[in-house]
Parts: sequence; C-alpha cells; structure tokens
Amino acid sequence: MTALLTVIISFLGALVCGLMPAGLHRRIRWVALLTAGLGLATAFCCALRYSGPDMVDEINSTWIASLGVSFVTGYDGISLPLLLVTGLVAVSGVLFTWNLDHRANQFYAFYFALIGGVYGVFLSLDLFLLFVFYEIAIVPKYFLIAIWGGAKREYAAMKLVMYSFGGSALLLLGMLALYFGSGLNTFNLLELMEANFSGGFQSVVFPILFLGFAILAGMWPFHTWAPTGHAAAPTAASMLLAGVVMKLGAYGCLRVAVGVLPEGAMVWAPWIAVFAVVNIVYGALVALRQEDFKYVIGYSSVSHMGFVLLGIATLNLTGMTGAVLQMFSHGVIGALLFALVGTVIYSRTQTRMLDQLHRLIDRMPGIAWVFIVAGLASMGLPGFSGFVSELYVLLGAWGSLSGWVVAAAGVGILATFGYTLVKIHEAFFREGTADSEGSKRLEQADYPPMTLPEKAGVTLLLGASILVGICPWLLTNHISGSLELLIDRLAN
Amino acid sequence: MDYQLIFNALLPDLIVVVSLFVALGVDYGCMRQAGIRDRANKALQICSLGLIGGLVVLVLQLNGTLSLDYSELLDATHGQLMLSPSTLALKWLLFALGLAVLPLAARHMVTVQVSEYFALLLLATLGMGFMVTSRNLLGAFVALEVVSLSLYALCALHQTSRASAEAALKYLTYGGVSSAFLLFGISYLFGVTGELDISQGLLMKEALIRAPMLVTVAYLFILVGLGFKIAVAPFHLWAPDVYQSAPTPVAAWVASGSKIAGVVLLLALLKPVSMPSGNTAIIPMLAILAVVSMAVGNLGALRQINIKRLLAYSAIANAGYLLVAILAFTEEGRAAAVYYAVVYAVATLGAFAVVAVLSDRLGREAQIDDFRGCWKARPWLSLALLIFVLSLAGIPPLAGFVGKFYLFFAAIQSHSQIGHWSEGLYWLVALALGFSVVALYYYLKVLKAVFVSEETCKLDKDSIGWSSGAVILILSVITVGLGVWPGPLIEFIGQFLI
Repeated sequence: MTALLTVIISFLGALVCGLMPAGLHRRIRWVALLTAGLGLATAFCCALRYSGPDMVDEINSTWIASLGVSFVTGYDGISLPLLLVTGLVAVSGVLFTWNLDHRANQFYAFYFALIGGVYGVFLSLDLFLLFVFYEIAIVPKYFLIAIWGGAKREYAAMKLVMYSFGGSALLLLGMLALYFGSGLNTFNLLELMEANFSGGFQSVVFPILFLGFAILAGMWPFHTWAPTGHAAAPTAASMLLAGVVMKLGAYGCLRVAVGVLPEGAMVWAPWIAVFAVVNIVYGALVALRQEDFKYVIGYSSVSHMGFVLLGIATLNLTGMTGAVLQMFSHGVIGALLFALVGTVIYSRTQTRMLDQLHRLIDRMPGIAWVFIVAGLASMGLPGFSGFVSELYVLLGAWGSLSGWVVAAAGVGILATFGYTLVKIHEAFFREGTADSEGSKRLEQADYPPMTLPEKAGVTLLLGASILVGICPWLLTNHISGSLELLIDRLAN
Repeated sequence: MDYQLIFNALLPDLIVVVSLFVALGVDYGCMRQAGIRDRANKALQICSLGLIGGLVVLVLQLNGTLSLDYSELLDATHGQLMLSPSTLALKWLLFALGLAVLPLAARHMVTVQVSEYFALLLLATLGMGFMVTSRNLLGAFVALEVVSLSLYALCALHQTSRASAEAALKYLTYGGVSSAFLLFGISYLFGVTGELDISQGLLMKEALIRAPMLVTVAYLFILVGLGFKIAVAPFHLWAPDVYQSAPTPVAAWVASGSKIAGVVLLLALLKPVSMPSGNTAIIPMLAILAVVSMAVGNLGALRQINIKRLLAYSAIANAGYLLVAILAFTEEGRAAAVYYAVVYAVATLGAFAVVAVLSDRLGREAQIDDFRGCWKARPWLSLALLIFVLSLAGIPPLAGFVGKFYLFFAAIQSHSQIGHWSEGLYWLVALALGFSVVALYYYLKVLKAVFVSEETCKLDKDSIGWSSGAVILILSVITVGLGVWPGPLIEFIGQFLI
C-alpha cells in the first residue's frame, strides 16, 4: 500500500490544486510543493524498505472480473529507481516553476494528474491497469504544452499527443493479443510472464508491443515528437517529458515487451540495437546543428534514450542494468538541463537562441558553472551517474552485440562530447553573433543570481546524479537483483 | 388473454401516455394566455412526473413487486412484449435518458407549440421503449415508426429556421425510404419463416438451412433500413444536417436514445442468425459497413467547424465501432455492443446538453470557435464537456474507454486463435484503433477551443437552471463512474441481456 500512496497523493494533489481559486497562486505552489514532496518521500520510503530482488508491496484485487482485469500493483528493483526519479523531477519541477501565476490551479491539476499517471505505470503489474495509467498521462501533457507552452505550442502538443496515442493504439492491440494468445484469461503481468507463448507468436507480437512503447521512448524514426514537444513545453512539463515520460516507454519495453515475450526479444534484439545506435548518433549529430538551446537538449534526450534502448537490446544483465540506471540518470540530468535552459537562463536573457547569448560566463558566472557541471554530467564524465550507466550499457553491448554496434555507439559518445562542449562554448564563452536589437540589449543586461527555489532544485537533481555516480551500488544492487529474475527466463 | 397481465406489463407506458395527454390538455385548456416560459415549465413538470411515474413502475416490475409472467406475456402477445429484466432495464434506461432531455428542451423553447414539443419527445421515448421490448417483426417496426415519425416532427419544430425545415424534410425522405427497405427485409423474413415472432429463433434457423440466399437478402435490406436509423455510413447522409439544424435537445435524443433502441433492435434481429456456423454472407456486409462508417465518420469530422456537425460525424464513427462488436456474433459481442451503446449515449447526451445550455440562445449555429475561452466564464460546464468529449474519445478512466476496450476485446475473442492476420477480427480492431487516433485529433480540437484559448467567451452567460445542471452533473458522474467501476454493469448485461 505504501507505494500506491504516490499515486493517491498525486491525484489528490491534482484535485486540491484544481479546486483552489486561481488567484491564490502563492498558496497553490506550496500545496504543489507539499504534494510533490510527499510523493518523493513515499518513493524514498519504498526505496529504504526494499531489500530483496522480489516484487514487494503487492496489492491484488479484482477490478472487472468479466474482462479478466484486476488491480495489481507492486514494485521491485526495476521500478524503484523510476519511482525515485519521478519524485525528484516532480519536486524540482515545482521549484523551477516557482513564479508561475498564470492559471496556476489548472497547471498543477494537469501536472499532478500526469505525475499520478506516471507513478501508476511504474507500479502497475496488470497490463490493463498499466495501460489505463499510461493513457491518463497523455491528455494532461496536451494541455500543459498547449496552454502554458512557448512558440508553436499547439502544433507541438497535438503532435506529441498523436504520437503517444498512436503508440498506445499499438499497445492495446498487443495487449489483447497477449490476453488471448496466452489462454490464461488474465492481464496480470506476473502470470503472463509464466505463460508459454509459441515462438512464432512471440516474434509477431513483440514488435507491436515494443514499438507501441518505444514511440514514447523516442526511438528513431518515431522520435520527432520529442524535440518539438520538449521545446514548446513549459519548463516543468519539459522536465517531466524528458525526465519521466520518455522513461514510461522504455520501462514498458523492458517490463512488458521483453519481460513477457523473451523469445520475441531475442529475435528482434539486433534490429533494436541498430535503431538504438541510430538514436545515439543521429540525436547527437542533430543536436550539434541546433541553434535553439532547448532543441539542443531535446535532441540530446533522443540521443541518451538511445543508450536505454541499446541496453535493453543487449538482453544481458550488465546491459539491462545499465539501461535502467540510464533511465534514472537521464531522468535527473535531462530534467536539470531543461530547467536550466528553460527557466534559469531564459527568464534572465529572454532568448533561447544561441547566437543571441553573449558571453554569459561573465554576467551569470554562477549559473554558467552550474550548467557546465550539468553538461559534463550529461556527457557522462566519471563521478556522475551517466558515466556508470553508459559504461554498463557499453560493456553489456560488447558482450552480446556485434562489434560494429559498439563502435558506432562509441562514435555517438564522441559526438556527445562534441556537441556538449560546442554548445557550452557558444552559450557561455562566445561573443553574441546575431546582429539584432536583441543581442545589443543583451550586452547591457545585468542578470540576477539564482533564486532560492532554483538553487534547491539544482541541488536536488545534481546531488542525485553525483550520489549515484559515486555510489552506483545504491541502485545497481536492486536493479540487477530484480533483472536477474527476468533474465533467467531469457536464458531458458 | 389475460388483460390484467397486459395492463400490469404496460402500466409504465400508460402512465407516460396519460401524462402526455395531460400536458397537451393543460397547455391547450388552461395555459393559452400564459407566457411561453410558464407553459414550458408546466409541460416540463407534467411530462417529468409522467416519466418518473413510469420509471418507478418499471423498478417495481424489475424487482418483482409487480410480478409479471414473462413467458405467458410473450406468448399472449406473439412476441410483442418480451419483458425480462434485461429489456425492462433498457426501457428504464431509455425513459431515464428521456427524462434527462426534457429540461434541456424546456430551457430554450424554439417553438410556440410548447406542449406538442414535449408530447412528441414522450412519444419518441415510448416508441423506443417498445422497440427494445418487442420481438415481433411487425410490432418492432411499428415502434420504430412511432419513434421516427415523432423525430421527424421534432426536427421541424424550429419553425423560424429554414435549416430546421430542410433537415426535417431530409430526415423524412431518407427515413421513409429506409423504413421501406426495412419493411421489405422483414417481409422476406416473414416469407421464409412464416412467423412474425422472432423471440424463439428456431424457425429462422430452419429457414437458414432451407433458403440461405433469401435470408441473406432479407438481412441485407434490414441492414440498409436500420443502418439509416443508427447512422451507419453509407446511409448516414441525413445525420450531419439533422444534428446541426434540429433543436439541440432533439439532436441529443436522436443521437442517444434512438441509437440505443436501434442497436438493441438490430441485435435482436441478428440474434437468430448469430451462431458460429451462421450466415457467413452477413459478416462481410457488416464488416464493410463498419469500415466505411469509421472512415467516413472520423475523416469527415476532421474538417467540421460546427460543433453539432462534428458530433454527428462522431456518431457515424461510433456506429462503425458498434458494428465491430456486433460482427463478433457472440454473447460477449452483444454485451459489448449494448454496453458501448449505453456509455456512448450517456456521453453524447452530456456533450449535447452542454452545447445546448451554452449555445442555444446564441441565435445562430454554434461554431467550435464560439467556445473559445469557455473555461473562464463557465469552469464547471467546461469540465463536464471535458469529461464527455474525452469519454467519446475513449480516454481512461472514463466510460468510453471501457466501452471501446470491451468492443475490441469481444471482437478479438470471437476468433482468438488465428493463423494469418486476415483471419479473425484483428485487422478490423487494428483499423478501429487507428481511427480512434484520428478521432482524438478532432475531439482535442474542441477541447482546445474550450480550455486553451485566453479569449473572453461570447457564449450564453445566463444561469443554466437547476434541472439542466442536475442532468449534466448526473451524466458526468455516470460517465466517470462507469469508467472507474464498470464491473457491475458489465456483469448485469452479461447476466440478463443476452
């Protein structure tokens, strides 16, 4: 029951925020912070109490008996890091939108509806329930982007929702196929994992399910919703999108597609690896060419999600541990980067175009150094969580995939170094090149230092990344413990 | 013949009929000098009382206080009164939905013929009640005609509007032709079986073996006829005009009540042939209708700017989804079709109700853009519209989602073991899922206008009145409730309805 509190608290928070009058935005943000904080605290409690590799905290009750649907929740070492990252991003999202006063009640209602859906997906052990939470998360995204977003927001919101919904349509088809293919008349994931699907069935249904989830994970060539969606979204929403919503897809790929249909996974793994590597390299190269700071981060998200997919494609313990750790790691760092670009820098410079930013290192040194540290974390330097997770993924890939794939991923890492350093240079150390009124105005601007909520948010996210970077066993023990149970089935 | 039995069975309908005439009599007798508002309120009160009385008696019949010998009744009336918990429940539902339409009609009176408006609404409700309880080919046909004739007249009630008259004429011509088709099909069925009572279905099974071709032709005509009534493409051409130009409460009633009644009648007519080895020629016919409906409805809705027209195309698309479940030809499929028809009717009635209270006094046809910025002035109505529209789109945790899921579930279940993708109904479900993605686009377009825009809303600022408010509240609670806790209703349908 403890873990389910995260869902309940979030939905209650959504309700309370939604019912408060919009004029009380100061009070609403405290309610929001309290809700997000309680969610994080609950997730943290779950983490502290978790010891073994098994599924714990299980709730199992019938929901719609005639359709074989039951309400089953629980968590294990795979869902745990994702619960934590959801909590972290939710809290820091509130902190980074501390000044929001436009329709604040509705904003937080949609925000927490989305977060409740996300928690729900990570906790669901019934495929129908998982699907319900997965879809609950879709509609709030639309409104968060379409109402509070930036340029091209309505287009971006619609595109994102269409892609998500398209993915979930595939998912529903795959789900029904699993239900009737297994002959067990249940959507319970744990029971479906024990079912005997024929090899032919697995190799047909696996790509449907996998693709359904992978669209939300930003897999090339279905990634195009991600950069436009991230760029148009308000900061808190893009933090959630990059931080946790893309992880929903990856988590589904791992838990449902690979977990239930291991033989199908083995058939398709080489293809997934190819797509994953394309993600890594293509995302990094496109990021290099972007002029809008938020698009840079958006494409870097696509690139980093490639590592998650590559880790899943390895189908061995090391690689998949890396994949889950990378979900956590990118969740934290991606959210931090979006927060820095979308709020901390944008609210001061009023532009995201790199050619209009003018030697920010002189005028906002504190913020610049924070961004540089975050950029290094994103590059995967030792000491940060990204290093550990990418290392795991590459080691796993070396063990099971062809050398060419690993080599190509290596190229991707080089490209990541390239675009991170180039963009840091362009933003912070370069003279503004745009010959416009804007850049003239920027030259004289004097920027205030970071506010307290911003500092708190940065500390939270960066601290999590560094903590996991230095002591990865805090998470990896649990992750690999639970993954072993999953991989044992692959081996059989 | 035991007249006491028939009296007991028809008591709910009698009460409604009496209230109908009382409403007419009071309006003509005592209220000639009164203002139109007072007359509308008086008629509303009388008619509501009548329907409530009918509902109470139906409950008594359902829980056995007013005991009915179902089988004797069936024999005595040659299948014209097939009363059972299932059909009584459906009749109850239709009466309740009819009760929900009345306050909407009273709120914005489009005509000086006040009591006729209400009397016709009640008459349509009565007809629908008979449609779901009749298993006699001719009885069902007469009931259907009662519904249709009332609805034709209701459509034309907006006397100052040319469009209303045009829509009614269109509805009448199309509807008349479709009735002819239906009657022709029914006559063929009668010809091959020599029996009007289809409640047993035994003769039909024999006929199916004896003259399969003739039965197929009969069903082809029946499908054309009923297809018109429930707005299945390509027999949908009347729907957008009627939905747009008829008074909004009437459009709501066409979309919800007559759809449920039509679907139930279609299921009853198809039941005798719905066995595994049944008539295979009907399946491709239904499949084609389903695909065309989903395509025409969903693609047609994309470019609508009038909200009622958009709901009309959504109705066409939803008729297509319904056919997917009917195609399963299993008990599960019929249960899914009924469940879907119910949740669709509730959601679409709710959506029409919100549109009616917000835009009926606008003095012109409401465009989607008229709803821009509606959240500011009307937060609660906007929230209700959000619930109804998302339910139509099939987003959890709302009733429409469970309905769609159940449809697809039943469709695949009917042939779950397949060798090739073209076997079974996987392909049809995949297609339906694809179209539901398209559908989300236009539903979101409506919600975008309502919630995203910052403009000041130009719509009706009047109080909506407690009765219309209660209707909208109850419908939205049902829509959420049936999504979160659908088990009891599904079990009820599965247990009794099939």
